[in-house]
Amino acid sequence: MQKITRRDLIKLGVASGVVLATGGIFKGNALAGSIKLAAGNKDFSPKTGVERKMIPSACWSCVTRDSMIGFVEDGRLVKLEGQLDSIRGLGKLCSKGAAGINQLYDPGRILYPMKRAGKRGEGKWKRISWDDALTELTGRLKKLRDEGHPEKFMFHYGRMKGSSSKIVKSAFLSTYGTKTIGNHTSICEVSKWTGQELTWGKHYDNWDFDNTKFVLNFGSGCLESHTNSIPLLQRLVAAMVERNVKCVTFDVRLSNTAARSTEWVPIRPGTDGAVALAMCKEIMDAGLYDKEFFKFIKATPNPNASTDEKVAALKKHLAPYTPEWAEKISNVPAAKIKSLALEFAKTKPACVINYRGTAAHYNGTENERVIQMLAAITGNIDNPGGRCRGVGAKWKYPKGPKKKPKGKKLKILDGFPGTVAYPTHHVSHQVLKMIKDGKAGRPEVYMWYCYTPVYANGDCQENIDIMKDESLIPYSVCVNAYYDESAALADMILPNPSYLEWWDWEDMVSPTQVPEYYIRQPFVKPLGESRDFKDVVCDLAERMGFPLGFKSAEEFVRMSCEKTPGVKEAGGFEYMKKQGVWHDPKAKPKYFEYKKEVKGEDLKKEGVIFDEATGVYWNSKKSKKPDAGYTKAKNAYKGYVGQKIGDKVYKGFKPDKVNKSGYFELYSELLKIKGKQPLPNFVPIPEHEKMGAGDLILTTYKVPVQIHSRSANCKWLTEMYHDNPAKINPKTAKGLGIKTGDKIKVKSKVREITTTAEVTEGIIPGIVAISHHLGHWEYGRYASGKKSPMATDNDSGLKEKWWKTYGVHPNWIIPNSPDPISGQNRYMDTVCKVTKA
Amino acid sequence: MAHIDRTEMIAVARHRSDIYGLLAVLYRQEPTRDLLKRVRGPQFLEVMSQWGGELDDDFMTRPEDALLEEMAVEYTRLFLGPGKHVSPHESVHHEREDGQWGQLWGASTVEVRKFIEGTGLRYETKYRGLPDHIGVELEFLEALTRREEEAWEQDDEEGVRRCLDVERRFLDEHLFRWVAPFCDKVIAAAELSFYRSLASVTKRFIEFDRQECLRAES
Repeated sequence: MQKITRRDLIKLGVASGVVLATGGIFKGNALAGSIKLAAGNKDFSPKTGVERKMIPSACWSCVTRDSMIGFVEDGRLVKLEGQLDSIRGLGKLCSKGAAGINQLYDPGRILYPMKRAGKRGEGKWKRISWDDALTELTGRLKKLRDEGHPEKFMFHYGRMKGSSSKIVKSAFLSTYGTKTIGNHTSICEVSKWTGQELTWGKHYDNWDFDNTKFVLNFGSGCLESHTNSIPLLQRLVAAMVERNVKCVTFDVRLSNTAARSTEWVPIRPGTDGAVALAMCKEIMDAGLYDKEFFKFIKATPNPNASTDEKVAALKKHLAPYTPEWAEKISNVPAAKIKSLALEFAKTKPACVINYRGTAAHYNGTENERVIQMLAAITGNIDNPGGRCRGVGAKWKYPKGPKKKPKGKKLKILDGFPGTVAYPTHHVSHQVLKMIKDGKAGRPEVYMWYCYTPVYANGDCQENIDIMKDESLIPYSVCVNAYYDESAALADMILPNPSYLEWWDWEDMVSPTQVPEYYIRQPFVKPLGESRDFKDVVCDLAERMGFPLGFKSAEEFVRMSCEKTPGVKEAGGFEYMKKQGVWHDPKAKPKYFEYKKEVKGEDLKKEGVIFDEATGVYWNSKKSKKPDAGYTKAKNAYKGYVGQKIGDKVYKGFKPDKVNKSGYFELYSELLKIKGKQPLPNFVPIPEHEKMGAGDLILTTYKVPVQIHSRSANCKWLTEMYHDNPAKINPKTAKGLGIKTGDKIKVKSKVREITTTAEVTEGIIPGIVAISHHLGHWEYGRYASGKKSPMATDNDSGLKEKWWKTYGVHPNWIIPNSPDPISGQNRYMDTVCKVTKA
Repeated sequence: MAHIDRTEMIAVARHRSDIYGLLAVLYRQEPTRDLLKRVRGPQFLEVMSQWGGELDDDFMTRPEDALLEEMAVEYTRLFLGPGKHVSPHESVHHEREDGQWGQLWGASTVEVRKFIEGTGLRYETKYRGLPDHIGVELEFLEALTRREEEAWEQDDEEGVRRCLDVERRFLDEHLFRWVAPFCDKVIAAAELSFYRSLASVTKRFIEFDRQECLRAES
């Protein structure tokens, strides 16, 4: 037989085509549908071959809240993976998301309501019925409400987003009447948010990697841990790999992100602002600024200043901030600062990004303002490929009872008077201190939810001491699925399910500037007697005589799906249950919203007035004392309509939380009022200014396979990451006589910890780096080696547990100390001494 | 793939798809009258012989009605039974290391279905056969190569790469693993030259096409 060639193939193909083209040759295909080129979202049991039930839902491991798909076999969740139909996640899920199964089936889960039996913190518990638990709680809460002191019920959450937040806060707590509601933002990245509220309004910056040509990164580990991790990191990878986009990372540590960047530029802690300021100076002096965007910038006190006046004012302000000045402070060579500044300004579009490396410092808010300035003067704001204002889903939802009391609150949420200028997201790490202080009153019932006050805040010992003290906190309730360090100090524990057993709708920001609507639905029924806290508050509200108008989270999500435009037309709740995600396929990405003009009729509406001092049109009815003027009238920002620039009125940069104008504010009247410098500047960190010989700076970080403080119970994750030796540069280590593996003591003004040293070039000299996540002393067998009092006996996984380390927690030695503008806790500033143990 | 002539690759993908499509039809059912008319045409016969499919004179000369009847009987006897027949299902012929083969609805059946559904296709509700019938596997490759043709037309390099990757994987993991022993059994068992030829062309074509995929991918 002769050899077959491609010619033969073509001949056979032609002949086959001719036959196939004949009618009446065939009785129908076996296959239907169209081929999608990415595989996934189907799964089969390896044992039985039966297809597993596929349920779309959403992750909740970290705040990214990726859409995902779960596979259920015989009533058991067996696998989680990314949702292919999601425009955010594009079918991907991280290790923390996949390990969610460990959260669901954690052998240490609390499955029944528990009441303390011994002394607080002693670890003795008795099981009680839900009815007894809620009767007891209702009794206490109703009494406070009836006495006119609902504010003495403090609710403190760590994570509550989407519908959870609406059900618990907007419907339940506001109808109950307490505004003593704490959160956790100040131990996260509040300085970023406040910095953004002072410049462009509502917080959250999306980085448009899909369209950018250059990425300048100040201290973000966005390839390993970010608040919008999976959606962003894959896009940065694609930009770098597929389009050769350059990414330059400033960091004190060779993070995964720095390692994968085109270039890692080592920098001293807390000095990013100095480098960015010097870059701004170089760009302004070289005339590389975006003249068109300056129209929307406020750079002087005068809202009617011309672009030339603004440019001149900024140049004058920046004059002292030379690259040589920045080099002395940051150790980044002046020539490097200059060349990067010019490259950033000349590459269009370019995206400047930053996170905790700039945020968790004394000067965190100023750093944010400086970086916002760098983006603004180069016109890389809200543009394709630049730094954009986040776009998320806008759900419609039931608001609960119409009649709500005027809420009351204890003034313990925002730190001690005068310490924080704009605590726009509260100062949660000061709450326990303020309770101890007592001058602003104390809650009689302190309840926390998805939060671990003892572990996640700084100075753990102080937190323990306060939480244990019944004279300071008379009654405490923990809502949790797990027995962690804080649950151990509660008077009552209400067993929450894991997020894989509850309902929600979600709205996290989309990397494409097109909003995505998605839901979380249970894969299995809540284990044991655990009950979704959202269902519990519906029950509590009924018991106290103010039903919320929906009986469960499922009903709330269903009602929201039927109300929300777009989702409703797509098929509402039934569609979302089946598909999990929805976005408008015709929607255009939201860019340049600030350039839109306000309609004339909106300026003529009743109550709308013009404020000469700022050029803002606003509805004065939103404030009780409008005569104080826009900037000083309480809550005036809520009435913002538009910003007059020249002879036009623009939507501009709409304010949120503070009475900023509609300009992109580099000059901040609000900061001037508080005695701060109005233009973005560099504020040295006081403790770093007076460091003695042998002092080091403690820096903290996160790794890709653990979330901050709630994942060490996951055996799959802890197998990958269960030890966190302190990283020290060889030069520093040599001076201290320390080698890798040595036991060392790290001592701050607060306390001392003992850990192990890891000597590495992947960190700059003069600092010591210890990661978060580990060093738990409760939280179950995998996190701490200690079973919870409610735990089941040895599980099968325990036999495979080969590691014996649990790491060391840095928070013991980090004080709770706020950034003076936003209240950010300063996880990167602590001065310490390291010695051989 | 930079130096490949795109116009040629569009044509090649289309031809491959047509071949897979025709083979799928021939294995899935006994021939209809229209089909028989076409395959008895001179063009088709010449190509068959080039590919090593020699047909008896009988095939050319038998009256159409009689041949149609004989082919229907042969198809049934070869692939459906009763009695000893050559089951046209992968799970029967695909020799696996784990020993999970030699039966209907075996481990390979599950894998084939998972593979096919993983690409977004689904089985027609009207389709009553098993998921790993040779006709289905050929139809799947017909669809894949059709999709590849589209990707070439759209100059979608990534799409082409993915199509070729899926084609090669499916051939390597499935069709190529069992088509030779299956065809050999058909060749041995066939009484009519048509099915003997069909089996030998099928075997040669799959071998050749797997090489094509490997070449195109590199």
